[in-house]
Amino acid sequence: MADGLVLAKVTCHRGPVVVLENASLRVPSGGTLVVTGSNGAGKSTLLQLCAGLLVPQSGTVSVDGIPLEPARAEMLVRRGIRRACVFQQGGLIANISALENVALPLRYHADFLGLSETTIEERARFCLGAVGVEPASMSALPGTLSFGIAKRVAFARAMAIEPNLACFDDPDAGLDRENAEVVEDILMSYRNDPSITMVIATNHRALIERLGVAPHELVGGRVVRLDLLTMPPTSLV
Amino acid sequence: MGASVGTEQSPEVRGRPGGLVRGLGQSALEGSRFWFGCVRMVLFALRALAAPGAAARRAVLRVTMAQIYFTGAEGLPFVTATALVVGATIMIQVHVAAPGMPGEIVGNVLVTVVLRELAPLVTAIIVASRSGTAIATELGNMKASLEFVGLVSLGIDPVRFVVLPRLIAVTASVVVLEVYFGLLALVGSAVVALAFGTPDLVALQDGLAATLRLADLGLFAVKGVGCGALVAVLSCYFGFQVKASSTEVPRMTGMAVIRSVLGCVIYNFLVTVVFYALFPELSRPV
Repeated sequence: MADGLVLAKVTCHRGPVVVLENASLRVPSGGTLVVTGSNGAGKSTLLQLCAGLLVPQSGTVSVDGIPLEPARAEMLVRRGIRRACVFQQGGLIANISALENVALPLRYHADFLGLSETTIEERARFCLGAVGVEPASMSALPGTLSFGIAKRVAFARAMAIEPNLACFDDPDAGLDRENAEVVEDILMSYRNDPSITMVIATNHRALIERLGVAPHELVGGRVVRLDLLTMPPTSLV
Repeated sequence: MGASVGTEQSPEVRGRPGGLVRGLGQSALEGSRFWFGCVRMVLFALRALAAPGAAARRAVLRVTMAQIYFTGAEGLPFVTATALVVGATIMIQVHVAAPGMPGEIVGNVLVTVVLRELAPLVTAIIVASRSGTAIATELGNMKASLEFVGLVSLGIDPVRFVVLPRLIAVTASVVVLEVYFGLLALVGSAVVALAFGTPDLVALQDGLAATLRLADLGLFAVKGVGCGALVAVLSCYFGFQVKASSTEVPRMTGMAVIRSVLGCVIYNFLVTVVFYALFPELSRPV
């Protein structure tokens, strides 16, 4: 992981919103980028760009020199890029259980990840247990779970793949204190793991302060570095 | 098939001078986008067939088997009932329109009408209305709830994991159900013939045997594979057309069914024309 995450001269418009305009950005390998911005500024879109889930109008997004493109999703895993994304709405597959959701990427890439069926089952259960999902909820469909539990399942799915690129969109939004603490602990462990490059979109000041990372604000198609102490952005809550 | 997919010309555009030209241009553009999208989806699915990863192949196979169960096995009762009734109805019509028609001629009618035309078409319509709607709805909801983005983030190609299994399963199911429909329709006809006591079943069997050719197997396969693929591709395509709102799902589902049925009717017609052009001797009665 020499280069880390690199956005080079990226322009991305989504409808009337100019998310990025010929902007370049680099998150060093093992580093953490925290993006803030007012509602509708395009934080989620930037996060999808960083995760390679969206193709920009111009410019390139790469990690360790490997271009991130939605059409090359499987190739990335084969080249050692293990992504984990947690979206605001979870993004869980609705017609399979929580346990199957967590096991799905492991099963799908079992040969490349060198996992046996037993290991997959054990790891999926372990990750769900680690985020406090009760065994009874493991066999439930995502639609029957509460928002907080569904979000924990999404985090368990992200953890299970043992990512080296992790993207989280408003990770603690809408969670009660107990759930938020579980999520923050995961983010802190990722923050301290030099093998994980992480991008977080949030306006939550307490989370940013706990992470101890200088946030960047997305404004007018540019990503501007902020200093929490001297220039708190108005968008932070 | 190709005109104004997903959009309709507004009354303002139609009423304005030059609106017709603009409307035609828009329809042509939408049509080409539709065809390009469908062809691209098929090409990507075929490419995914050769993609590496034994574990991924196993995962795709699991989805394929589940879809075959839904489309093929669970569709059997509907196909059974429809085939028996269609076969019986045709025999009643023959009896009413041409009482005393020789069994050999009736056998010829059954092969040309039931086996060559109705079996592929009615099967495709049943599959489009059951599985096509289910696929378009499922994919539409997946698209609206960002499940495809979730799959891509996990390194899973949605075309390989979602489209390919449905393409294989629906195509295979239509071919099998089509054969099943043909056989059951003949049974339905035979039951009515037995009830009326005419035509003679042996003569009917002779008529069937005299009319059926090896080329009919080819026709069955071409029609079954084509109709199955059409239903699968169009259902997946319209499912993917949902942008962000679940309210788009029923509209796209309706579009998928209408286009699938229309596509199968046109495809069936074209294959029949080509079939008789290639085998003119089969168009003559026994």
